[in-house]
Amino acid sequence: MLKRLRSLFRVLTRRREFEDGMTEELRFHIEQYTDELVRSGVTPEKAARLAQRELGSLANVKGDCREAFGIHLFDELRRELSYAARLLRKTPGFTATALLTLAVCFGANLTIFAVIDSVLLRPLPFPEPDRLVTVFNTYPKAGVDRDGSSLTNYYERRGHISAFTSLAIYHYGTEIIGEPGSTERLQTMRVSPDFFSTLGLGPAIGRTFTEEETTSETDHVAILSDAFWRQRYNADPNVIGKLIRVNSVPRTVIGVLPPAFRFLSSDARVFLPLASRPEDRAPSGRHSGGNVIQMIARLEPRATLAQAQSQLDAQNAALEVDDPQAKMIADAGFRSLVVPLHADHVATIRPTLVLLEAGVLLLLLIGAVNLVNLLLIRASGRVKELAVRQALGASHGYIVSETLVETTLLTLVGGLLGLAVGAGGIHLLRVLGVDRLPLGGRIAFDARLALACLVAAIVMGIVLAAPIAWFNLRRHLGNALQAESRGGTSGRAAQFLRHGFIVSQIALAFMLLAGAGLLGLSLQRVMAVSPGFQSDHVLTGQILLPWADYPDGTARLTFVESLIDKIGHLPGVLSAGVVNNVPFSGKSGKSAATVMGHVLRPGESVRGHYSYGVAGDYFRAMGFSLRSGRFLTADDPRRAERVCVVDEDFARYYWPHASAIGQRLWDGSDTGKDAEAFTVVGVVGGAKQAGLTEDEAQGAIYYPYVFRIGDSFFVAVRTSLPPESLGLTLQTVVRQIDPDIPVNDLRSMDTRIADSLVARRSPALLAGLFSCMALLLTAIGTYGVLSYAVAQRRREIGLRMALGAQPGQIRSQFFYLSLRLLAGGTLLGLIGAWQANRAMGSVLFHVQPLNLPILAGATCVMGVVSFAACLLPSQRAARISPRETLAEE
Amino acid sequence: MSKTAELLPGTLDMLILKAVSLKPLHGYGVLIRIRQISGDALEIPQGSLYPALYRLEHRDLIAAEWGQSENNRRAKYYTLTAAGRRRLRDETAGWNRLATAIAAALNTTSEEV
Repeated sequence: MLKRLRSLFRVLTRRREFEDGMTEELRFHIEQYTDELVRSGVTPEKAARLAQRELGSLANVKGDCREAFGIHLFDELRRELSYAARLLRKTPGFTATALLTLAVCFGANLTIFAVIDSVLLRPLPFPEPDRLVTVFNTYPKAGVDRDGSSLTNYYERRGHISAFTSLAIYHYGTEIIGEPGSTERLQTMRVSPDFFSTLGLGPAIGRTFTEEETTSETDHVAILSDAFWRQRYNADPNVIGKLIRVNSVPRTVIGVLPPAFRFLSSDARVFLPLASRPEDRAPSGRHSGGNVIQMIARLEPRATLAQAQSQLDAQNAALEVDDPQAKMIADAGFRSLVVPLHADHVATIRPTLVLLEAGVLLLLLIGAVNLVNLLLIRASGRVKELAVRQALGASHGYIVSETLVETTLLTLVGGLLGLAVGAGGIHLLRVLGVDRLPLGGRIAFDARLALACLVAAIVMGIVLAAPIAWFNLRRHLGNALQAESRGGTSGRAAQFLRHGFIVSQIALAFMLLAGAGLLGLSLQRVMAVSPGFQSDHVLTGQILLPWADYPDGTARLTFVESLIDKIGHLPGVLSAGVVNNVPFSGKSGKSAATVMGHVLRPGESVRGHYSYGVAGDYFRAMGFSLRSGRFLTADDPRRAERVCVVDEDFARYYWPHASAIGQRLWDGSDTGKDAEAFTVVGVVGGAKQAGLTEDEAQGAIYYPYVFRIGDSFFVAVRTSLPPESLGLTLQTVVRQIDPDIPVNDLRSMDTRIADSLVARRSPALLAGLFSCMALLLTAIGTYGVLSYAVAQRRREIGLRMALGAQPGQIRSQFFYLSLRLLAGGTLLGLIGAWQANRAMGSVLFHVQPLNLPILAGATCVMGVVSFAACLLPSQRAARISPRETLAEE
Repeated sequence: MSKTAELLPGTLDMLILKAVSLKPLHGYGVLIRIRQISGDALEIPQGSLYPALYRLEHRDLIAAEWGQSENNRRAKYYTLTAAGRRRLRDETAGWNRLATAIAAALNTTSEEV
């Protein structure tokens, strides 16, 4: 089979040679035979004639020879293609409309498919990726849905859960990499030694981390990503053993990862061992994950997710027996959940993507219906021609293949245009910031997409050809010839079909419009939510102090204080402060607090709250409002009594009927010593921390920074200037204190809030775009069908007008027709939208899926578009001159 | 015409393979050779010779190459390929079995039944 295909291909590519050879070979044959006949005594003229006759018609022999190679099919195809191309060129209006429709539909589908493909469909780049799972702790009753895993979890579970072949932990980070003077802040990952073996993909050069390298004294090793190795070391094969400075501490390079290594959405350049001290691994730290450390595992080939879950539950239960915190943990609803890694990573974005895919498929359906309608109209115009050709002997097969060639040519060209539109669409998505979505970095325009588009174009060609071929074949020859010659009205069945398609088109467009409306309304509701502070004119950035240079709290505090002082003296700065974590940083974590005198009600657990250390004038810089008491001041850390500020959500939860001022609480889940309790001195307005859609106000506590010194902090600056313009100055100030410290993630608060909406804004925007296209297509479809109806009935209208009908009557007749189509379509659309919108509940924010104003609005828009589309044809009908139409006969 | 036998369907390919197996031949040569080896008993319809040759070439049973004819003209010469040799062997065996069986059947007398 393969050999024959190759032989066919060879002949097709050297077609000229084949034809010339065949001619020469046959001429040689005739000459040889002629010579033989002459030798046997026949006269040369007669011999030549005999030789020719003996071989038969040269054209027939050649045809048979071509058929032997299977080339005749291609000759036929070429003939049909050029015929189809000629027909399409003859009707530029139709062709342009059809191609535009196809380009838009294919382009939109390609764009969304690119996202679906890279985010949901394409497996993670590891062997047997479906066996990779993630494990995380959840304390739903404490308001903490997801808390990662703890070091203790890892060391207790490793080797004890038989459903896992291996288990590993990691956390994301950023480090300052490079020699002094040329440092760079890069994304990094700290991973346990079995991280790479769990994924099933380890270094291409060198080795992985060992168990001995997991203490802070022995962890001076690093593994590089392929990109970093090429960029910084020019792909030096002898890089192993070289030193690399990470946070100004030299580490030895022990491995380089393969190019395909990409862990989820991380862009980590350098991998370091996740080092810890023995006390960090003790049972007391079991529930101190803080959503920093994450756990992955590889399922045993025969084990199921459910088995792994029950083994984990059993181990947790066994460990809780002698846990002093057991009751509190149980009250918090603690569980460790096992979920597939890929699905978990894209869980937040999945419903939106599925919704968009549904929307874009609707668009494709509308486009297809539109094309079928346009093609049907076109076929009606050619009924007579086809009938004549059939009468002259064109076979059914020939008519079908001709239709198929025509529609496929159309869809293939449309597909090519669609590729261009799709490439543009993918670019647009990038501008919209879609690459920041989970696995969004993988979205690219590649051969896979091009192939998908090609296949889709061919399938579309076949799908479109089916109804047209049916229409062309089912017409009775005689009928067609007569009906058209009398210029009568169109067949009832064909008209019914065309109108049915318009109704379904209106219904589909209506569904899309209603869906887009809901998404838009939902986005508007989200944007109307106040973040709880004044987000304008605030610049924020993250600073990370390496432990090596800033080993203790004093050094860190000195840095922070001198930074605040220097920023405060900059021109244009109104106030500046420091916090562990600004709202909308995407890194919000909660921790427990214990309120003095608060007795847990039955079923109530210790709650997790956003807990931050603040320094400087943080509250004024962020524009928090003071509800009662006072803000924290620079003197507070030096007071004998520990003080803190809480937000109004916190105050309302614990002291609904009393003042929060003067109340006391401990940082942590235990009642501590009296001297360690913090006294509430102020209540500030509640703020959204993780995002505007955060519904449950979990409450926040702000401690003086000295009690919450971490390795990184955010600086917040309120300025009278445009906030972004201050970025460079801020960097300079930081470098004045320490030249090796960069400022990270510099963004104004407004930008942070806008960025947090990317997963809502892009879908709403895209859905809006899709429904605009759908409206346009519907308008084109309605216009086309009505224009055709008017053209078809010119004679009838002319006759009626000659008999005294008024132009207004004619006009309203077509208006009624479009009104009926609109009513039918809208009714169907309402039912469809009612069903479809119910499935949208999960992606909507404070919007009921069945929203009457939205449905009414969609009806209005649909109505305006349909009437606009029928205005021109009905106007044309009303202007038909009876004299002209009757004279045409 | 009385001394030439009618060609059975399907036998043309076999005869071409046989003719070409003896020596590389051009199309006209195949015609002459078949006439010669069948003792002038088989006459190939010239119109179906070339389509058959092309079919065999397409199936990779024979290979074609341009060369010089006896009278110094450019001509296309066909040779048997390895696959063609196998096919010829199989077809010959099959034919012989069929011919023997048919001959035996036709020679049966009433006593033997």
